[in-house]
Amino acid sequence: MLRYHILGAGFVVTIIWLLVLHFTEVIGVATMLPLLLFFDTTSMTIILIGVTLFFEKQEGTIRSLQVSPINRSEQILAKIGGNILSNVQTLVILYLYAWFFKEIELSFFALLAAIVIIGLFHSLVGFLLTYRARGFTELLMGMFIYFFAFMLPVVFEQIGLIENEMVKGILYLAPTKAAFILLNASGGGLKTWEILFSAFYLLAASAVLLHFVLKRLNEFALKESGV
Amino acid sequence: MFEVTGLTFRYPRNREDTIRGLDFTIQDGEIFGLLGPSGVGKSTTQKIMVKLLPDFGGEVTYLGKPLQSYGKDFYQKIGVGFEMPVHFSKLTAAENLAFFKKLYKSHADTDALLKRVGLFEDRGKKVNEFSKGMKIRLNFVRALLNKPTVLFLDEPTIGLDPKNARIIKDMIREFKEDGGTVLLTTHLMNDVDELCDRVAFMADGKVSEIDTPKNLKLKHGKRLVEVEYQKGEAVQQDSFDLDRLGESDAFLDIVRNKRIITIHSKETSLDDIFIKVTGVEIRG
Repeated sequence: MLRYHILGAGFVVTIIWLLVLHFTEVIGVATMLPLLLFFDTTSMTIILIGVTLFFEKQEGTIRSLQVSPINRSEQILAKIGGNILSNVQTLVILYLYAWFFKEIELSFFALLAAIVIIGLFHSLVGFLLTYRARGFTELLMGMFIYFFAFMLPVVFEQIGLIENEMVKGILYLAPTKAAFILLNASGGGLKTWEILFSAFYLLAASAVLLHFVLKRLNEFALKESGV
Repeated sequence: MFEVTGLTFRYPRNREDTIRGLDFTIQDGEIFGLLGPSGVGKSTTQKIMVKLLPDFGGEVTYLGKPLQSYGKDFYQKIGVGFEMPVHFSKLTAAENLAFFKKLYKSHADTDALLKRVGLFEDRGKKVNEFSKGMKIRLNFVRALLNKPTVLFLDEPTIGLDPKNARIIKDMIREFKEDGGTVLLTTHLMNDVDELCDRVAFMADGKVSEIDTPKNLKLKHGKRLVEVEYQKGEAVQQDSFDLDRLGESDAFLDIVRNKRIITIHSKETSLDDIFIKVTGVEIRG
């Protein structure tokens, strides 16, 4: 991660988040910090998985690993672990900054648990979007479609454009809403069932996604490659 | 060691099978050449044999057991030499080897291997500073780092200068002499001629010929003797049937009375056999 500047790139993004946080009023930190962590554990996670996979494919190392005594699940979990480590790095830096220079009443451990679950789910989304993409541009397109489909309705609900109760209920199935709930739970004030449902939903969905990620890794590794 | 029976394979998006009933065996301790034009299914066959493509028809057994019955431990004793570079370009050669070594239970002396292929002095350089030939040599070391008993090699000498190609070929031969088994895929018929105990030519997804290089040459050879001799001021060239050479008055007359410039038994090369059997000319 060091040699490929993955941690370094993560650090640069964290500095950008830090600047945003710096210019946020003290009163807004409780809203802004979960929002920044949301972008870090969703979009940055997807991009990081894509970059890693395209790099490995370009260098052929993914093929070399396919003929090594290492399981596909180990390969995938190692990448997810690396990603979550980068997310934790962001959390620690932003939280420490907010702790020392702003006022913060969010639970660190609740945020930590939230980013592990959200990072896991979105790493797996990153794998599937990368498998479908022929290059980095297509991956970005896939990511935008994902956010348009799952993010906009949640935002519309937040700003009061969606008032229909049934639609609001359906929105609990949007992983982005579950992510928001978990991050905002660190500040308290949410219903316990909402938090538990969101955590269970993202973990269960991760298990389903992991099945497809494992199944299609070989196909991705072998596409356009000779042995 | 490997037994392939009635092997068929179709890629998910293809309408036709790429492999259409392949049968061959690779014996313990031999170098087996798998030859054929591009797109005929050589790489697909290799991918199936190294367990990268699981959904095949027919049967492939390794040491008497179906390939599917082996887990990831199968790779502990398998070495795969890719044609394209397969290393982390931002790590040094030594770091790359150290990384891959950790995945295996048994380890070869990679320093000795690096010395042998002439990369020991460059082991501290990042792979992205390596030339193509250096990367190919490093690929070969990567294939050997777990002390495999079976080597799958895809064009191991393509892109190497004659000196380094000789080193790699010597190492392949030594690997065999130490009891190793090799499946070799290449377009370089000189390598095949030099290294392979048996070769299989693939055409249309099947094996169209399988035998030792020598037997193939005998089978497809013309069995002629070609003589160049001085006739007056000019140089004359004639061919004679090798099997009835002693009965040929014309040949005997040349031997007795003419000044012979060259005389050769006309042997068919593996290049000729490749073209004849597969119907495709060899490129590059």
